[in-house]
Amino acid sequence: MRSVSPLWLAFLLAPAALTMLVFVAWPLLGAFRYAFFDFNGLATAGFAGLHNFTDVLFEPPWSAWTFQALRHNIVVFAALMIVQNGLAYLIAFALLKALPGHRLHQVIVFLPVVLSAVIVGFLWKLLLHPLFGVVNALLAAIHIQGPPWLGDAETALPSIILANLWHWTGFPALIFLAAMQRIPAETLEAARLDGATDGVLLRRIIWPLVAPAATIIFTLTFIGSFNWFELPYVMAGLSGAPGGATDVLGLYFYRTAFGSVSSGLQDFGHGSALAVLMFAFLAAVSSVALRLLRRREVDIG
Amino acid sequence: MKADRLSAGLIQALLLLNALFMLTPIAVMGLSAFKTNAELFASPMALPEAFSLDNLRTIFRETSFLLYLGNSVLITAASVAVLLVFATMASYAMARYAFRGRETLLLLFLAGLMVPLKLAIIPLFVQLDWLGLIDSRPGLVLVYVAMGLPSAIFILTGFLRALPGELEEAARIEGASEARVLWQIMLPLARPALIIAGIQNAVPIWNDFFFPLVFLTTDRLKTLPQGLTVFMGEFNTDWGVLFAGLTLSALPITLCYILLSKQFIAGLTQGAVK
Amino acid sequence: MSIRTRLLQAAAIAGLIPLAAPAFAGDITFWTWRQEDRAAYTELFNDFTKLNPDIHVKFESFAAENYNTIASTALAAGRGGDVLQARAYGGLEVFAKTGYYLPLDTTNVPELANLPAEALAAETLRADGRVYALPYASQTLGLFINKDVFAKAGLTPPETFDELLTVGKALKEKGITPIANGTATAWMDEVFAGIFTAPFLGPDFVADILAGRATFADPRYVAALGKLLELKDLMPQGYTGIDYPTGQQLFLSGRAAIFAGGSFEIANFRKQNPKINMDFVAPLAATKGGARYVAKFFDGGYAVNAKSPNQADALKLVRFMGTKAYGDKFAALLGNISPIKGVTLEDPLLSKVATLNAVSIPYIMAVYFRFDTPTGSELLSGGVQKMFAGNITPAQIGADVTAGISRYYEPFQKK
Repeated sequence: MRSVSPLWLAFLLAPAALTMLVFVAWPLLGAFRYAFFDFNGLATAGFAGLHNFTDVLFEPPWSAWTFQALRHNIVVFAALMIVQNGLAYLIAFALLKALPGHRLHQVIVFLPVVLSAVIVGFLWKLLLHPLFGVVNALLAAIHIQGPPWLGDAETALPSIILANLWHWTGFPALIFLAAMQRIPAETLEAARLDGATDGVLLRRIIWPLVAPAATIIFTLTFIGSFNWFELPYVMAGLSGAPGGATDVLGLYFYRTAFGSVSSGLQDFGHGSALAVLMFAFLAAVSSVALRLLRRREVDIG
Repeated sequence: MKADRLSAGLIQALLLLNALFMLTPIAVMGLSAFKTNAELFASPMALPEAFSLDNLRTIFRETSFLLYLGNSVLITAASVAVLLVFATMASYAMARYAFRGRETLLLLFLAGLMVPLKLAIIPLFVQLDWLGLIDSRPGLVLVYVAMGLPSAIFILTGFLRALPGELEEAARIEGASEARVLWQIMLPLARPALIIAGIQNAVPIWNDFFFPLVFLTTDRLKTLPQGLTVFMGEFNTDWGVLFAGLTLSALPITLCYILLSKQFIAGLTQGAVK
Repeated sequence: MSIRTRLLQAAAIAGLIPLAAPAFAGDITFWTWRQEDRAAYTELFNDFTKLNPDIHVKFESFAAENYNTIASTALAAGRGGDVLQARAYGGLEVFAKTGYYLPLDTTNVPELANLPAEALAAETLRADGRVYALPYASQTLGLFINKDVFAKAGLTPPETFDELLTVGKALKEKGITPIANGTATAWMDEVFAGIFTAPFLGPDFVADILAGRATFADPRYVAALGKLLELKDLMPQGYTGIDYPTGQQLFLSGRAAIFAGGSFEIANFRKQNPKINMDFVAPLAATKGGARYVAKFFDGGYAVNAKSPNQADALKLVRFMGTKAYGDKFAALLGNISPIKGVTLEDPLLSKVATLNAVSIPYIMAVYFRFDTPTGSELLSGGVQKMFAGNITPAQIGADVTAGISRYYEPFQKK
């Protein structure tokens, strides 16, 4: 490693640093500042103190909307952690066996990952349609009357989670697979000779060895589920239909800041307060979680 | 070895089931693109009666599909190109040179990985407006560059650090300038990492809906995901056309993926496993 | 040539392509969320160009759910269409009070005199009493009846709420869905609630709300909301998952007999199914022979971008949009009632709507409670959707709506 002229260094670093400063750091500070202002339409109209924050946290109906949306984000996160990542782990293990056709399966499971959330959302909305949706047509073939998936308060959120599952499972699956492929073949062979079944192998041998990959996947799942926007936006609309049953923080923030079809109004003050709270929450939880997960890697590794 | 064969069979069954789950929606989408509303109502599962091309024709005749497609290509290509140039320069400085505050700077860049930029959409908008970049391609491109820099720098510094120094030293002894070392010696070596960083950013930029939604308003500039919502609104009672629109929108990236599946998978997952 | 070189070339070209093609002198743009009205507006603008040969109008439309975002962001940046379709009431105020729209009066748009005061009020900023858009249509909420479906079933369309329940049952036995509407699209739920609670809420209730004598927790209002639940059996299978377009399609294809909607549907319905034999009637009566009140409101107006570089041409267009000739053709092409005085309505259905307007009450949330957040509209539509899909009671909706509105509506705060 060597030192070079400061001018050359500045030339190399400046474009990236400036772009980040102007398009990330500065707007973030701006979001923070806006949260302390009242807005008259789209222009600031005086200092608001903390009341934008206290409104969205403690004043009904905002507070009810905020916590309802947060609750839904938590449900989404839990579901994706268990079902999506669990499924991904099993698929990765199945692919690790390198049975005939495994390369094709690898390509297939990853295919939806490259599609945009807008396409996936519209597609599943049509598949789940109560009158001509394929899902209910298949259920009817085995004499089950399917519910209006996106219309029922009970099934709407799970339906969007299902679409997410279809869209994203391939991603953690192939990350797990890559991590599993790094495990020395002898380690697995030795365990097998000791009589370890697949179940034991998955739980005791492989799981600790893919801990770093798990850390990444868990963190991405967390950030992804709390930034959820496109899929519920396309499938349930800005109001989180029905009646807020699918409302999540991303939709709620957008609706508050920019207004909805004809009934909502723009409200940058409350919108910015929400953005600041969400950002603080994401940063706090992910930094604590990362520390814990790293320690876990050391402990079980 | 009977147990082995049994478990292999079970695993094949699991994979087949999964493949069915993954492919059925895509097949239904493709087939429904050739159906009329009446057919869709009557039997959503059946094959189209006549493979009518009317829906596809409607898309080409009454929407700006090709324009949106071209815009998406342009925006994605420009963003990835600028991003790679900026990221390579910065990563090279932080990976190969010693200077004070280097680790802190790297950490600051990487902190960007955690920032959900969507939440800063309002001030970002005001910012772009102030720079006169609202409703323009360069504005959107710069936002994408800023969004992609942390992950690209993450991948590239890791890779550049691991490169051996001999070639570089040899060139310097021969009197090559620093710029020449970077351009002629190191850059060709960094190619695999550049491809990974490129694909990792190209896919989300290609698919992005949120930023064009807010930053681009002129119809002439709209990207494919955004354009898709436009004709989803215009033909909202013509489901066959909707399926055709979805199929056409999914087609370009699906084809790229099938042709380059290895690179796509590596590009999108490797950043995470490093 | 490697892929990389090609990508770099593409990027270079992208950078070189000029940002905005220079607009031709005399070109102005019109922004709207009515994507489906392109053909009609193109024709109307052609008429304008015939009168003003040097001005051409470009129609640019955006998805309705993004229009507010797009228009406000563009206007904030000093861009946007030269003439913009504007909302009415509170939706207008957000834009007007920030100074994005040019104030209109009889000096810059003499044609404002062609419009009734009630219509201009909908496009007036309460704070300064000035008009910011030229109103283009009034809308009336009521019931669409598919006459052929009723004839084939040998039934007569209902006149009272109770008749609806019995006629609906008879239709259902014949395999016809009585009411086409579902509840999946939130804003339509406000329309739905407005139409089917109308029998039980008269002008007295509206007057009581405005005078602060009653809130939305009033037993009359709660009971009316409760009546909506009696319609569950008459709605399509899986009605909570049926969105607005699907409901329209059910009605147009003759699978359903009645569609609760607004006069804004007429043109679209005719276009989608030219053969449809339909009628538009006022919401039902509570008792036989009782009054049937339609709910009426103004939809929006045409505003001039305050920062438009082509303001003179934009004003010319808006002046043209305030003439009787425009109103006539607008009504004929789009099937909407133009508020311009003396407009002739050729369409028999449309002139019927105009007569129905004689017995009307204001569409209460839109007209009075869309000025501040949370708006009455979002509270009500969210509540109704929840009531159908989940398990909140009409009384809870009444309480939630009242609590939300009382944040800014003083008469409710004393309660």
